Amino acid sequence: MTTLFILDVPENVPVVDVASVDPAVTVDRIGPYFRIASDLPIVIDRRATGCRHAVWYSSVAGLGASRITQWDKDAMRIEPL
Amino acid sequence: MEHMVRGVDHAAFPTFDPAGTVTFYRDVLGFPVVHSICAAGWGPDKHPDFIHFFFDIGNDDRLAFFYYFGLEPFDGGPQGDVYAKFEQHVPIWFIRSRHLAIHVDSERALLEYRRRLDDSKWPVEMQVQHETIESIYTHDPNGYMIEITRALRPVTPQEDLDANLTIDALLDVVSGPDPSMAALLTRKAELIVERAAAWELSNR
Repeated sequence: MTTLFILDVPENVPVVDVASVDPAVTVDRIGPYFRIASDLPIVIDRRATGCRHAVWYSSVAGLGASRITQWDKDAMRIEPL
Repeated sequence: MEHMVRGVDHAAFPTFDPAGTVTFYRDVLGFPVVHSICAAGWGPDKHPDFIHFFFDIGNDDRLAFFYYFGLEPFDGGPQGDVYAKFEQHVPIWFIRSRHLAIHVDSERALLEYRRRLDDSKWPVEMQVQHETIESIYTHDPNGYMIEITRALRPVTPQEDLDANLTIDALLDVVSGPDPSMAALLTRKAELIVERAAAWELSNR
């Protein structure tokens, strides 16, 4: 299971919104964090989020049994370990 | 523990250029001179006579300088400032990581300081804005990097939780064999699962 945590602050919300467009992705919460999970890799398009770089490159709060295999100006890709 | 401190009394830096320093802070930025000490050198190690002078940087906090009569700058590499000089191979992002950031409350204030600097010998070198902060940067006559910054939104309570989980995860991973961002984010996810739900309940 690919699992990604993102803190609920206003500028991170578009990252969660873009991730959740994928029908394989589920989003729930643990406290003030979004937990984004999927049986498949999770891919988030940076331009679709509208995030500028400072927020984009600090938007991940935690990874559950997953690793980031791409995190650049185009996209973030997270895969299960 | 009771948290009893009240901000920065003063942060102190040496200068070999008191005229430039006063021009920059008092005359260009408009920071009032609020205190100074004229001290004869004393002690066993040939301490020179010196002037210790202070600028008000708001909030009753102060920026202070030491000027030592007769003291020449010390040797070092071609990069950095009068206190810390670095050889050419040291990356600029490392050198710039030590800097002083002074807070303002509004865009109007930030732009006014930008105007004052741009009209001086020390114009703004960089203006950065992203979703949460806006900052301007320059270097003072001593080579010290100065930032003036404003927050674009207040810090939220959950960011304090997040900061504490980050630091606890960091301490765990730097005590391990291979510190990395991947290791930190994995450890932090464990701390989120352990602690975040209870934190939210206690903050309602």
